Amino acid sequence: MKLTISAVFFALSLSSPSLAQNANAVSLNSDVMVERTTTDANGRSQVTLEEPRMVVPGDHLVFVLRYRNNGAQPAGSFVVTNPLPSAVAFQGTADTSATVSVDGGRNWGTLSTLEISNQDGTKRPARSEDVTHIRWAFAQPIPAGQAGRLMFRGIVR
Amino acid sequence: MPYLRSGNRPKRRQISVAIPALLAGFALFSPQIAVATGTRAGTLIDNTATATYDPGSGPVTVNSNIQQLKVDELIDTTVGWSDSADVITTPGATSQILKYQVANTGNGVETFGLSSVANIGGDQYDPTVTSIVIDDGDGVYEPGIDTVYVAGAGDLVLNPDQNITVFVVSTTPGGVVDGNRGGVRLVATSKTGTGAPGTSFAGAGEGGSNAVLGTTGGDGQNDGFYLVSSATVALVKSATVVDPFGGATSVPGSRITYRIVATTTGSGTLPNLSVNDAVPASTTYVPGSITLGGIGQSDAVDTDAGSFAASAIAVSLGNVPGGQVRTITFQVTIN
Repeated sequence: MKLTISAVFFALSLSSPSLAQNANAVSLNSDVMVERTTTDANGRSQVTLEEPRMVVPGDHLVFVLRYRNNGAQPAGSFVVTNPLPSAVAFQGTADTSATVSVDGGRNWGTLSTLEISNQDGTKRPARSEDVTHIRWAFAQPIPAGQAGRLMFRGIVR
Repeated sequence: MPYLRSGNRPKRRQISVAIPALLAGFALFSPQIAVATGTRAGTLIDNTATATYDPGSGPVTVNSNIQQLKVDELIDTTVGWSDSADVITTPGATSQILKYQVANTGNGVETFGLSSVANIGGDQYDPTVTSIVIDDGDGVYEPGIDTVYVAGAGDLVLNPDQNITVFVVSTTPGGVVDGNRGGVRLVATSKTGTGAPGTSFAGAGEGGSNAVLGTTGGDGQNDGFYLVSSATVALVKSATVVDPFGGATSVPGSRITYRIVATTTGSGTLPNLSVNDAVPASTTYVPGSITLGGIGQSDAVDTDAGSFAASAIAVSLGNVPGGQVRTITFQVTIN
């Protein structure tokens, strides 16, 4: 139900764009790290997050979006959208409030509710690598001064 | 080099905080995508997010910084031996061909050198490699059309996923025997470098990316084999004498029947095997006495196998595989 309300808010915000830029009120920062699994001499594997100094196909990336409401007013109808770079295959997010799109942002939902049309007109369930966008729509306004972090994972195709 | 371009990214990372949350939350998601070659080296991955919100005065859109990565070059290669079975050869044979496939399984254009190793161990002989030849694309060895590999100038430049046929041309030593197996190892080596997987070469990748060695360590190799298939023949000659008196003494007028048994052994074939035997001195050949397998042969050189000329008999057995027995007889009289 939360989702539905948020989606409505988002639709409203799209339908009435405003040019009133209050640019510094909310900041949004994109960051990425590489997740590496190493195995020590005892055979224990260890996962570390590293700066992406070296990135090759198959590497696991962790995208981190940080937001902060620097303004004096609560930021309502807060929606964060991240298109997936074409070279990155979506690998999920721990955040259950996120929705995804597999058709360039036309339709949204949890992955299990989405379908992909095959060439022959049939449909198949969407897979994580089909995801084109991920979106978080907040049901509650972001209070002034509050910050948060959103994350999702991808793999270099 | 995956360099970072960020507008308002905080200098200080909060990784120590992020890790536990990430690990806990993401433990469920670890499917490996099957990466054949993957994104081309040098490709830029730009990530940016957009936030919209309403502070009460109408919708506002905020773009994040653009987080940019450059995909580095993963250097990988495989070599496969593509003959369906051991290539049959014979002692001393030249231009014996082994067929291999060399593939660039990395994600960037890469140059590979080729080399061969004949002394691989585990086989019975070392073929003498005379050349390595690059196929022109039809998968068929064509001397004079395909390109003889020259190290350096002729090194292979392969695109990601490109696969090329390479032939190794060898001479089989004369001393090998039936059933001997001889291998040749073809080695493809990245000219950027080789070493332990994960070894990197700053800026040496395609499109200004770094190069990093994949699981193959920048080189690949595979062994192809020849199998000697030859045959040998053993001749056993015996004589039976019948004298004019019904006995078995060797006196003038006695008739000697010579019997030659040719026995072939081996997995190969003796091409155009011919058995020749001179009539002994002081004897006279009995015309029309040659038999092969009990069947009479004419003395003329004609369609049958036997012939007699210049005081010698000759029987042409044609191509005889190993494991066969041919029995020839002829007769003479003692002068």
